[in-house]
Amino acid sequence: MSDKLKDIINKQNQQQDSVVEQLDDVVQLVGFIIGEEEYAVPILSIQEIIKPFTWTRVPQVPPYVLGVFNLRGSVIPLIDLRLKFGLSSKKQNEETRFIVMRDGDDVAGFVIDRLTMAIRIKKENIGPAPDTVESEDTIIEGVGKQADKIITILKVNKLLERDF
Amino acid sequence: MDEFQEILQDFLVEAFELVEKLDEDLVELESNPEDLELLNGIFRVAHTVKGASSFLNFDVLTHLTHHMEDVLNRARHGELKITPDVMDVILESVDLMKALLEKIRDTSSDDGIDVAACVARLDKITGGTGEVETPAGSAPVEEEVVEEESAESESDEDEIDYENMDPDEIEAEIERLLAQRQEEDRKKREAKIAAGEKVPVMPDEEPQEETPKEEKSPKKTPPPKATPATTPAPSQTSSTSSADPKAAAPARKTPAAVEQTIRVDVKRLDHLMNLIGELVLAKNRLIKINDDVEERYEGEEFLEELNQVVSIVSLVTTDLQIAVMKTRMLPVGKVFNKFPRMIRDLSRELNKKIELVISGEDTELDKSIVEEIGDPLVHIIRNSCDHGIETPEERLAKGKPETGTITLKAYNEGNQIVIQIDDDGKGLDPEMLKRKSLEKGIISEKEADQMSDKEAYTLIFKPGFSTAAAVTNVSGRGVGMDVVKTNIEKLNGIIDIDSEIGKGTSMKLKIPLTLAIIQALLVGVQEEHYAIPLASVLETVRISKDEIYTVEGKSVMRLRDEVLSLVHIGDIFEVERILDSSDFAYVVVLGLGTSKLGLIVDTLVGQEEIVIKSLGDYLKGIEGIAGATIRGDGGVTLIVDVVALMDMARNVKASASTTDESNSLIKEKTSASDYVIMIVDDSKTDRMIMRKALEPMGVTLVEAGDGQEALNILKSGDYNFDAMLIDIEMPRMDGYSLASEIKKYNRYKNLPLIAVTSRTSKSDRMRGVESGMVEYITKPYSADYLSSVVQRNVNFKAEFL
Repeated sequence: MSDKLKDIINKQNQQQDSVVEQLDDVVQLVGFIIGEEEYAVPILSIQEIIKPFTWTRVPQVPPYVLGVFNLRGSVIPLIDLRLKFGLSSKKQNEETRFIVMRDGDDVAGFVIDRLTMAIRIKKENIGPAPDTVESEDTIIEGVGKQADKIITILKVNKLLERDF
Repeated sequence: MDEFQEILQDFLVEAFELVEKLDEDLVELESNPEDLELLNGIFRVAHTVKGASSFLNFDVLTHLTHHMEDVLNRARHGELKITPDVMDVILESVDLMKALLEKIRDTSSDDGIDVAACVARLDKITGGTGEVETPAGSAPVEEEVVEEESAESESDEDEIDYENMDPDEIEAEIERLLAQRQEEDRKKREAKIAAGEKVPVMPDEEPQEETPKEEKSPKKTPPPKATPATTPAPSQTSSTSSADPKAAAPARKTPAAVEQTIRVDVKRLDHLMNLIGELVLAKNRLIKINDDVEERYEGEEFLEELNQVVSIVSLVTTDLQIAVMKTRMLPVGKVFNKFPRMIRDLSRELNKKIELVISGEDTELDKSIVEEIGDPLVHIIRNSCDHGIETPEERLAKGKPETGTITLKAYNEGNQIVIQIDDDGKGLDPEMLKRKSLEKGIISEKEADQMSDKEAYTLIFKPGFSTAAAVTNVSGRGVGMDVVKTNIEKLNGIIDIDSEIGKGTSMKLKIPLTLAIIQALLVGVQEEHYAIPLASVLETVRISKDEIYTVEGKSVMRLRDEVLSLVHIGDIFEVERILDSSDFAYVVVLGLGTSKLGLIVDTLVGQEEIVIKSLGDYLKGIEGIAGATIRGDGGVTLIVDVVALMDMARNVKASASTTDESNSLIKEKTSASDYVIMIVDDSKTDRMIMRKALEPMGVTLVEAGDGQEALNILKSGDYNFDAMLIDIEMPRMDGYSLASEIKKYNRYKNLPLIAVTSRTSKSDRMRGVESGMVEYITKPYSADYLSSVVQRNVNFKAEFL
């Protein structure tokens, strides 16, 4: 009986190990479009994705900070990534979403043009950020290569950092 | 070690509470040296601290408290008279004790504070009784021996009349005997050790320093000759034995008045407060929904039931909020306690005679506020002592009683707590204040001329101002009162000063009860709303735009007999002016500390209870915004930071009455397609019919399915419309509401709105006109008729046809 039990436990452990291994070299990302480009952030840094609703303007902030909105009782800043990335602002439409990202205690909502999909990508397929961007200040974590395209992976902590 | 930490925490909490009480008692003792009850109380404090600290191996603290205890014990037995000099030393030792306790709290050790001088002085006092002659600065061990003799002689006396002792004394006696007994046991054991016998001793990880340890055990006769390995054991036993009964003592001390209290972690209360905050928001929302439902289903039966439920929920929520707020309340007495001592020290230092009268110390305030008002009060009272109260000679010369009085009182006034500090000193001289400020360049000559007396008093809060002719130890560095102002303003408080030369000064600090949930005035500017803490709002007035004057680029108005500077909230928060501003404006008069400002707003929305939420790290520190709150409709409203706003107002140029037409730039029409007309109808067919009728003109047509959509298109600013065709019967927002919404906007004031509807009654037509429609076309209509009405209304140029 106890041998059997041991066997089962061992098997389970092995399974878990293999799962852990898998997790170790695969990164799960969520892709989205801003302007023409596809970007992605790690799925674990996303708290939720919601449809746009009203927000309140806050004075004395750069234009890309649209204001604050109410997420079930918390007041959260809203940042337009189009404006932040130097694109012109665009009217929100059916596909517009707010992605709420979290890094530790920092939370903010980001306006994106549309979502693409959840992506699993092997770590070895992620290259470093191009040399042309400075390594310290860049918000680019790396570049994910996929069969037909490349995706820019963003640093969530940099996105959530106040830079004004 | 965890257990040790726990004990240490308990010890610290208890010790600080005791010490706080001690200060008060000691000062009272000085005026009442015969009060045995007081003496006993003070003695017990020193005793308890000593007991616990020896148990926890804080040798320096034990050393000090032991000597204090000794002095107090003598006083208690009438062997020592408490003179001011004795008191000074005792107070000094209390200070040292406090310092030691703080050191222990911060570093868990009591090293690094030198108590030798104070201990020597304490010793001198006991020596002064004539019983023992102890040279100052003698080796601690020697002192011990001497004191121990005296203690023994005392105990001999005591043993004679047990019957006449009060319970406390008996208790002390029991403790003493117990300690004595254990001491004897220990000695026996030690003797055995010395004889080479093995004694089962408890293992001890931390080897102790020898000398201070031994000092603490009062009956140690054999000199410390034991081997280092054995010494920790006896010290351990002795300390446990001495501490145990003592630790239990305070609990037994007052069996009659057992307080029904529990200690709660402040974090838990904060969490509770947050939850209540959520509940208040939900309640606000419920009330709003209830109002909406009431409007829509007027007269329905279920409404009454809903009303009842809503009012019960809101009532209970309010009660709950008050209840939780109360759990966070502390009596201001906690802050007031330290002042008698401070006044005493100050009066000795300044050679003045000052009496402090405290009342209302039971008045309760939120914990966070109690923590904040300590410093400002210290500054104000120091200031009163130093500048306010005159020297005894001066006072006598003026025919005042020799002793000056400072009254400190706290009381409730509405939603605020008022802390009032009065002194009967020389009062503030506005002329002198102005002159001083002029000299120091704080104000200009012109400002000085215009200043009222009351404004002049507020000069003492200006940074860099000090009225003391000479900088003393107490004040005159020119920072103090400035701190008072900032701290009180941080709490959304107001300072009010009144003074009369030769009679005295009265200062009132008005502070809100709590910080987390506040009453706020909601104001509207254009389409935005802002919340202003009601505590800072003095009044609101409705004025016509003609009443606003411009002086040196700043807007001002006359409010009764004052001139009030004005600033438009839109200028401070960069609000875009889209809506029509009427000839009237509302002015919210803000009062903070002693300054006033008029804030011009478009509308007053109402008073609401709001929960302050932080904007988070990302947006913190935005000037003029103190936080945000969530409204009943789920939207976020920003809370105005009145302090910052007043600062910002100084730098804002007047534009309070500018309503230029720059928004409605009308471009020259160069082709028929430059004319843009919106068709608003929920029926696709009807939209098609209108389209067909207007298309031949060649104008641009935009369609909307209902009023809401139309409004959104209009607001987006993508088109510059020349006319709108509006159906009346529509879902979401009907034609009338749409028209009245549109007419609120300045730039659309002259936009022709044409109703196209099947409603033909006269009253419908009337409503159409009221809501701002210029034409009223009834269905069915001919295409030509529609086209001609539109052409007429948009001034269609014939050449485009």
